[in-house]
Amino acid sequence: MFEFPRLQFDDQADALRGEVRAFLAQERAEGGFEPRADAWVSAVDPEFSRKLGERGWLGMTWPKRYGGQARPFAHRYVVTEELLAAGAPVAAHWIADRQTGSHILKYGTEEQKSTILPRIAAGECFTAIGMSEPQAGSDLAAITTSARRTDTGWTLSGRKIWSTGAHFAHYMIVLARTSPAEGRNRQVGLSQFLVDLSLPGVDISGIRDLGGTPHFNETLFTDVELPADALLGTEGDGWAQCMSELALERSGPERFLTSLIVLERALGLIARHRDDRRAGQIGSILANLRVLRRMSLGIALRLEGGEAPATEAAVVKEMGNRLENAIIEQVRAMLAGIPRGEWPDGLAKLLREAILHLPSNTLRGGTTEILRGIIARQMGMR
Amino acid sequence: MGAGLDPDDLGMIADALDRVLGDAPLEAIDHAGGQGEAADALWAILEENGYPSLCVGEAHGGADAGLCDISMLARLAARHALALPLVDTALARGLLSAAGAEPPTRRIALRDPTDPDLPVAHAVQCDAVLSLDNGRLRLLAMEAASLHPEHGAEDGAARFEDNVAAEIAGVAIPDWLTARSFHALAAFTRAAAMAGAMQGALDLTLAYTSEREQFGRPLSKFQAIQHHLADIACETAAASAAVEMAGDALAADPQIGAATFDDIAIAKVRCGEAAGRVAAAAHQAHGAMGFTYEYKLGRFTRRLWQWQDEFGSAQQWSQVIGNAVLDADDPALWPIISRPI
Ligand SMILES: Cc1cc2nc3c(=O)[nH]c(=O)nc-3n(C[C@H](O)[C@H](O)[C@H](O)COP(=O)(O)OP(=O)(O)OC[C@H]3O[C@@H](n4cnc5c(N)ncnc54)[C@H](O)[C@@H]3O)c2cc1C
Repeated sequence: MFEFPRLQFDDQADALRGEVRAFLAQERAEGGFEPRADAWVSAVDPEFSRKLGERGWLGMTWPKRYGGQARPFAHRYVVTEELLAAGAPVAAHWIADRQTGSHILKYGTEEQKSTILPRIAAGECFTAIGMSEPQAGSDLAAITTSARRTDTGWTLSGRKIWSTGAHFAHYMIVLARTSPAEGRNRQVGLSQFLVDLSLPGVDISGIRDLGGTPHFNETLFTDVELPADALLGTEGDGWAQCMSELALERSGPERFLTSLIVLERALGLIARHRDDRRAGQIGSILANLRVLRRMSLGIALRLEGGEAPATEAAVVKEMGNRLENAIIEQVRAMLAGIPRGEWPDGLAKLLREAILHLPSNTLRGGTTEILRGIIARQMGMR
Repeated sequence: MGAGLDPDDLGMIADALDRVLGDAPLEAIDHAGGQGEAADALWAILEENGYPSLCVGEAHGGADAGLCDISMLARLAARHALALPLVDTALARGLLSAAGAEPPTRRIALRDPTDPDLPVAHAVQCDAVLSLDNGRLRLLAMEAASLHPEHGAEDGAARFEDNVAAEIAGVAIPDWLTARSFHALAAFTRAAAMAGAMQGALDLTLAYTSEREQFGRPLSKFQAIQHHLADIACETAAASAAVEMAGDALAADPQIGAATFDDIAIAKVRCGEAAGRVAAAAHQAHGAMGFTYEYKLGRFTRRLWQWQDEFGSAQQWSQVIGNAVLDADDPALWPIISRPI
């Protein structure tokens, strides 16, 4: 019913994996970072992002003339999965590299591509997603932020919420209404804008997440004057453009690899207290992760071929979210009964952070309920 | 023992088998438990087309497919709810041939080498059983007198007393074929069969919920039902991916090195876990109709539950791979997860 082709790594991918591992080992040894759970949203380190940019590990699949490396998707996958597995501080550039850059490459003007992409690839330009609004979450088409044409461009007004990283981002892709809905069809009349967050009239206020970390933001746009070329893609095509972005957003290894670091940290301790119950839990987690990785790699291959396999991405995200939560639950079960004095350094902190991030897995990027709806519709149920 | 057939050739064989099974009367496929005249007639057709000898070498008159290709047979047979011992016979003949013995054209069951007291699947339908002990593959004659059918089991599973069984053939095993790899290959067939049965349950549940109406509309309009179906679809997709991953590993490494062994174990674990969720959700979406003996759903779910346990349950295999992880000096999961797929 769904297609997950097999992606095979070439020799260069294997060599690259070795390079990334060596780099991460050195960074850790030099105190460059402390591994974090959910690192792609919780661990912001612009300096680290720049180091990755220097090595050519951001925007890897983009053409060289835009600062990319023209490498296959499999190579980018190797880099991203190694970074996630190590809990490296990748949050600063994550959205720009994963999503915004590729989106600009697909829909942007020559000017947008040549000014922004090289900076993203260098790890110097970060971006945020401006879809959700206070009254429009799952029901995204209910947004009221609007953009009106002016002599010089557009005027943007409205309020976006939950934008991860907007407080340090340079640009936000904002979904706004540019013409009224046609009766019940609210998906028409929406457009995407590439908004420079330093413009007058943009007011960003931080919102701390459940664990108390500054993370997402509310962004108020008060009659912000945008240049004509802030429009991204085609006027009125915002909905379709958003949906194609979601295949990039939902299918990657960050949907199932962010709890693993907690288990890895605990593994030696668990080995010393091994029994068949604990071994069985480890084996089950291993099986689930490896299979999801195979599926996620299959989507990367299809994305490379120019497809936007939105349903398959929903399948990976739905199962990945469940697994992320199950891993933490199982780690807690495996640790039960092991004296605290034996826990390795940092495990308690990692675990606590991971626990406090759990509720977000099944919400951000589309809730479990919405994803299941997408999957059911693909099977003809409505 | 080869790397598997060319995908196009395998696809053609699969399409033909799909048609044979699709055209066969229910009586032959399933209803008589794989016994009786109709089932025998179907077996003759399968035999004529060479399916039970798919993995037998050319020298022994077979199709020379790899053991990895057996997953195609297992998925299709399960999707059609075939009761006959096609898959076990194909594996048994493939193993005998790989060990250098010309396999007889019998219906052959497989004995779990890790615990000979376990019931033998398909025993009642077969006239021989393949056993691996003391460094030898032994094909033993199976007669009704030596069988104790398991109450309520599918497809004629029975415990087998071998103290009087005559040896039909015996052959020394090649180095790679250990009790461990025999067990893993048999587990691989059950993983593939579960993936096929889950697909069958998914198709059936989709059709049923779009036809059955309550409160004036089809069940498929209710969001709670849609979510059951989405869950079934996700788990089925994962089961398929797990079987394909193990099959690819086996094609590249037919003698089952450590990494391939792990991927086969992973397939059995993942399919076993998925089978539980899929069976539960499919029954929930079907209501009482699914709880009848006659209705088709049971043909998939009864077997799913049985295959979960045959040749090592998800829990047992999880422990095998989990213990291997914990055995290492410096245990780590990522090096295993990130292996090539
Ligand atoms: C950590 C985090 C980071 C985020 N980052 C960003 C970001 O960078 N940019 C951005 O634009 N947004 C972001 N979001 C917002 C996210 O996309 C929304 O939270 C999500 O789409 C759900 O919207 P909501 O929170 O308004 O919940 P609601 O839509 O109000 O949903 C509440 C509950 O109702 C359920 N529900 C809603 N509609 C239906 C339905 N039709 N059928 C069944 N159940 C339904 C939902 O599944 C959920 O369980 C982020 C969210 C989180 C938690």
